[in-house]
Amino acid sequence: MAETLLRVENVCKHFGGIYAVDGVNMNIREGGIWGLVGPNGSGKSTLFNTILGLQHPNSGGIYFKGQRTNNMAPHQIYDLGVVNGFQIPRLFPSLTVLDNMLVAARGQQGDGFFNSLFLREKWQKQEELLTDEALDILELIELRKHIFSTAGELSGGQRKLLEIARALMAHPTLLLLDEPAAGINPVLGKKVFQKLQDLSCSGMTFFIVEHRLEILFEFASWIYVMDKGKTVAEGNPEDIVKEAAFYQAYLGKE
Amino acid sequence: MDPSMYLLDLVVFIGIFGIMSLSLNLEFGFTGLANFGKVVFFLIGAYSYALLSQAGFPFYLCLIIGALIAAVFGFLISLPALRLRTDYLAIVILTSGEIIRLIVKTEDWIAGGDWGTSVAPAIALPGASAHAGILVNIGLVYVCLFICFTISRLLTNSPYGRVMRAIREDEVAAEALGKDRAKYKAQILMLGSAMAGLAGGLYVQYLHYVLPGMFLPIVTFTVWIMVLLGGPANCWGALLGAALVEVFDRGANLAKDLLTLPTDASNLQYILFGVLILLVLLYRPQGLLKESAVKTRATERVRSLGGAVRNKED
Ligand SMILES: Nc1ncnc2c1ncn2[C@@H]1O[C@H](COP(=O)(O)OP(=O)(O)OP(=O)(O)O)[C@@H](O)[C@H]1O
Ligand SMILES: [Mg+2]
Repeated sequence: MAETLLRVENVCKHFGGIYAVDGVNMNIREGGIWGLVGPNGSGKSTLFNTILGLQHPNSGGIYFKGQRTNNMAPHQIYDLGVVNGFQIPRLFPSLTVLDNMLVAARGQQGDGFFNSLFLREKWQKQEELLTDEALDILELIELRKHIFSTAGELSGGQRKLLEIARALMAHPTLLLLDEPAAGINPVLGKKVFQKLQDLSCSGMTFFIVEHRLEILFEFASWIYVMDKGKTVAEGNPEDIVKEAAFYQAYLGKE
Repeated sequence: MDPSMYLLDLVVFIGIFGIMSLSLNLEFGFTGLANFGKVVFFLIGAYSYALLSQAGFPFYLCLIIGALIAAVFGFLISLPALRLRTDYLAIVILTSGEIIRLIVKTEDWIAGGDWGTSVAPAIALPGASAHAGILVNIGLVYVCLFICFTISRLLTNSPYGRVMRAIREDEVAAEALGKDRAKYKAQILMLGSAMAGLAGGLYVQYLHYVLPGMFLPIVTFTVWIMVLLGGPANCWGALLGAALVEVFDRGANLAKDLLTLPTDASNLQYILFGVLILLVLLYRPQGLLKESAVKTRATERVRSLGGAVRNKED
């Protein structure tokens, strides 16, 4: 069996009296697409935020490759290889599509203070390589012709696509995507998932929140179901649809 | 005063305030750090220069050490900058600036208190004419301005500059993409403060004296007007803004002697500044020059591959 990549142990996150995440356990192994579903407000995005270090859990432990990440800053978690795409895109609106992509690239030689001033030849070469990579990804999501538009000029769906594309520039080991197909036309949405699946074959792992279950279930190999801050069911897509808890989460108890 | 001296004096002021404007532009224009305490770092550089030069240090060391001391204060300011929201940070910096000014004003032993103290010129030319003296100053100030301008341009047209802008636009997203925002903010505030400190040193050696009244909060606002008028996130804009504001300031100063107004004419330039900033914010909120895009080989690369249908570059 593949190695455990991300372990979530009894994680709780409360906002005053709201138990957004309430004792969640998960075990995500290397490779493949892992799904997370559940009704609105069930705590999916909050769980993602705790994994990313954007919010610190009140209790419990989060381990990436065995290392406890609870109290790490987001940029340190990025360094470990965990990257995300936000549910509501958080692009840099007045930067161009190209610059949005390049900001995210991992291992840049020119993003340090002294390097940017004195190692110009070195990072200029890297800029060209990263640009080629950015162009390939933008080609796929049909944004290449907008490369010099600012992110603020893009349509809602295009922003969502750029959010995903930007995360891919960061060469994640584990990529968390919060509703990647929301607002994207079904044909392109499917193409994006296809691409993610190809990438997962080359060793990337995906953990995806998605309300469009038909797409997610087609590609995911394991599904977690959350309801009211708790995981209520898990299994592969064929089995999960037979679980009573899965229906109860969406429809409420009889 | 001899008109040519008046013009040369204006050129010196444009150079010194051009450095101030460039430094606020790095902080606010590119990185979104609303530094409402520019005058603090100007003051620190000025008093450091005065005290060091009285202690017998050569002028270049006075300038460099003054800039370094200002940079240390910039680092200290970056500590609350990471925790506080922009508006609260503004209040913290604004008040700490006034506190420092009141300390040098009331503590006579530091540098003469309210009366100030005299400062030796950086490069003294015994027996030379006033014109020669001012030309030497122009040389010194513009060498410093050139260095600051070059650093600003190199820094902002690099992956580092891209991160600065990303932090300005959405610091949480930048952090999630691996950028240690605390480190970047500290570095930019240190650089910006060092530049302001350098400007302070140049200023007092040119005027030959230093006193607390030179460092009122109005100095900060003047530099802000320069950046907002010239165009934030554009290095040329910062210089243009500095030049326009200085010319405007002189113009208002001359005009007030010629006009007979029903009010106290010495406030005319402040009133006109207020009108000017309102006009800029209403009709040209992006400033006279628009933000310049990050220029690296990335854009050339796209062009050479014929990637874009639209081309927004200037
Ligand atoms: N910062 C916050 N402060 C207070 N309450 C919050 C905060 N963030 C989330 N919540 C609450 O926590 C609960 C879970 O929110 P969360 O965003 O995790 O849901 P979700 O599963 O992602 O829902 P959706 O599918 O609609 O995106 C909600 O009731 C929400 O109101
Ligand atoms: Mg959500």
